[in-house]
Amino acid sequence: MSINCEDRELLEGFLTETGELLEKADDDLINLEKSPDDMELLNRIFRSVHTVKGAASFLEFELLVKVTHKTEDVLNRLRKGELAVNNRIMDVILEAMDLVKILVDDIRKENIVERPIEGTIARLEAVLAGEIDGPAPAVAAGSGTTAPPDVAEKTPADNGTPPDAAAAPPVAETAPAVAAREPAPTVAAPAAAGKEAIDKSTIRIDVKRVDDLMNQVGELVLERNRMSHLNGDCLGRMQMDMFADEFGKLVKRISFITSELQMQVLKIRLVPVGNVFKKFPRIVRNLARDLGKQVDLQIFGEDTELDRSVVDEIGDPLIHLVRNALDHALESADERLAAGKPRVGTVTLSARHEGNNIIISIKDDGRGMNSEKLAAKALEKGIVSSEQLAAMGQKDIFDLIFLPGFSTKEKVSDLSGRGVGMDVVRTNVKKLNGIIEVKSEMGKGSEFILKLPLTLAIIQSLMVEIEGETYSIPLSAVVETLRVKEEEFSSVGGREVLRLRKSALPLMRLQERFGITEQRTDGGFRYVVVVGIAEKRLGLVVTRLLGQQEVAIKSLGNYLADVPGIAGSTILGDGKVALIVDPAKLIDGSEADAFRQAASF
Amino acid sequence: MNVTVAANNAAELKEERIQLVSFNLGNEEHGIDVLKVREIIRMSNITRVPNTPTYVEGVINLRGKVIPIISLRNKFNLPDAENDGRTRIIVMDMANELMGFIVDSVAEVVRIAVSEIQPPPPIVTSGVDQECISGVIDHGERLLVLLDLERMFSPEERQSFTEGLA
Repeated sequence: MSINCEDRELLEGFLTETGELLEKADDDLINLEKSPDDMELLNRIFRSVHTVKGAASFLEFELLVKVTHKTEDVLNRLRKGELAVNNRIMDVILEAMDLVKILVDDIRKENIVERPIEGTIARLEAVLAGEIDGPAPAVAAGSGTTAPPDVAEKTPADNGTPPDAAAAPPVAETAPAVAAREPAPTVAAPAAAGKEAIDKSTIRIDVKRVDDLMNQVGELVLERNRMSHLNGDCLGRMQMDMFADEFGKLVKRISFITSELQMQVLKIRLVPVGNVFKKFPRIVRNLARDLGKQVDLQIFGEDTELDRSVVDEIGDPLIHLVRNALDHALESADERLAAGKPRVGTVTLSARHEGNNIIISIKDDGRGMNSEKLAAKALEKGIVSSEQLAAMGQKDIFDLIFLPGFSTKEKVSDLSGRGVGMDVVRTNVKKLNGIIEVKSEMGKGSEFILKLPLTLAIIQSLMVEIEGETYSIPLSAVVETLRVKEEEFSSVGGREVLRLRKSALPLMRLQERFGITEQRTDGGFRYVVVVGIAEKRLGLVVTRLLGQQEVAIKSLGNYLADVPGIAGSTILGDGKVALIVDPAKLIDGSEADAFRQAASF
Repeated sequence: MNVTVAANNAAELKEERIQLVSFNLGNEEHGIDVLKVREIIRMSNITRVPNTPTYVEGVINLRGKVIPIISLRNKFNLPDAENDGRTRIIVMDMANELMGFIVDSVAEVVRIAVSEIQPPPPIVTSGVDQECISGVIDHGERLLVLLDLERMFSPEERQSFTEGLA
């Protein structure tokens, strides 16, 4: 059944407003569970639901009206103090909110389906009738208080889509771990509702940022006028040196204004990472209950901002990592006590800026990674050979988890263990030009660190010349530059290396790699740009260093997207195109070519 | 081909006209749909891109956009020639991506009736990829070979283009 809505604008307005209210209500509900006596929260949630109900009623969305009406009733009782907030009631409310999201999503898609809402309505009525009260007994699934499931059992999707159902906050030590499996709202993909509620084609911007932008544009207009003036009136009448002087000043000011503009426009695209993080309390709450573990989720740095496109893409990998932490890393309460750890496991999700990057970390205090077990598993699956293993340090062994087909979980549960997760995570992170590292200590815990560039479009670059051709190497990957005599190059196992402070730096002659004809060299000196990603190093041999420059990355388009070793292009001051080197790919390529040299001479 | 006249009548159909940009490669004349042509520019500095097939000359800066440039001579296995004052780059819209093709010279825009298009001859003509030829036309004394350049970039070809390199 499609929507027959005469006023399109009305519908758009409804969707936008409702979307926002629901998002806010979600946040508030999580906070409410942590502080059940917060009247302000309760009132706010009540008002939100009330507003949604009113709008739905006006637009005659019956199913939505029914659900919101009942939910509003429950919230009303809560805020009047006739009912007290507890776990079970929260579950029902969250279930109702999820259903509301699905219904709104149907409206957005203009395809209103006859969703079975009776189950949720029944539970809401049960709450109203005072039947659902007090904390649930700590028993296994199937306790009699749950309403008969007339709905599909919850099926958490495994490829990182956010799970349906209830949410998250830290389960207090005193509250018994609720292991009962509550049937989730009907549809097989309520996950979709949560995700699509976020409108991807529009953006909310702080008005101040727009004002700042306007100011800069104003400045630019002034400079443009000065430039016209200089060009028109003064040329001919002005002395050359005075012209040069004025022109120089003009260039300085315009440079400054352009930089400011650039920064401001980039800022507009920034959204706080909290937008992604806020999904997690619910996810963790959900998972913890399913797994029968007690988990405290701590979130830091929600205000850290990153580019909108990165935010869109980073959600799935993070969800997978958090699931992993809960599923694999954290031990059950008993195991933890036996190990001398607190019953409640802690998962810390944090974000911070570091230079031109944003660092996101997922840390747990679980059992840590067992490198022997990992190595054994990798060997068993034929992912590595024993010779390769022998050459690996602990860090490399940890890195094995990112390879496709790797999973140490014997039993494939719904949640994880199919061995497709980690390599997808790494691929997604790489797509964002980021890297992912893992640190772990047996018995203590593990930490996954994602390092992502703040802006994808503009980078600091080291300009180099390779036999007459100009190339750009992203400065973020450059560790150091060296000027060495070609004689100092040695050869190990057929590969050229350079002895650098007690270790052997593998070299790559870019002019060979890129097929550029070698011209006469002078004096036997070569420049080596040492690039590094995480712990790996590679020395790129170039002809000359040209200097440092900020460049705007231009895509090479789909046709040339996969050229090995080239990440993109940029346009130089003289209008020519210069290619941007992809250090990560070159490093990977050089490893794949040969044995990695271990270390010292 | 864009039909300006929506004709159900077969007789009217014969009069359907299309416009082609005709250009020269070696001693052959080719035509491509004018609607796919974005612009025609003179040769400019081409930045080489390593590890690409020989017919990919490189990329250029087209008013702020970086677009790939293909040498049609090379692609069609013709011997290389010096670029002279008449060499042009035809910038085309290939499935929403701009690409430039180097040709010896651009002649004119011709209008032809769809009915004049004859099927391509079965013989291979001077190495032009057979798939690209969508027909031939008698144009005055010349034979105009109609090209559909999008067919040049089949998915398989693009696959092999990136694999097996470095």
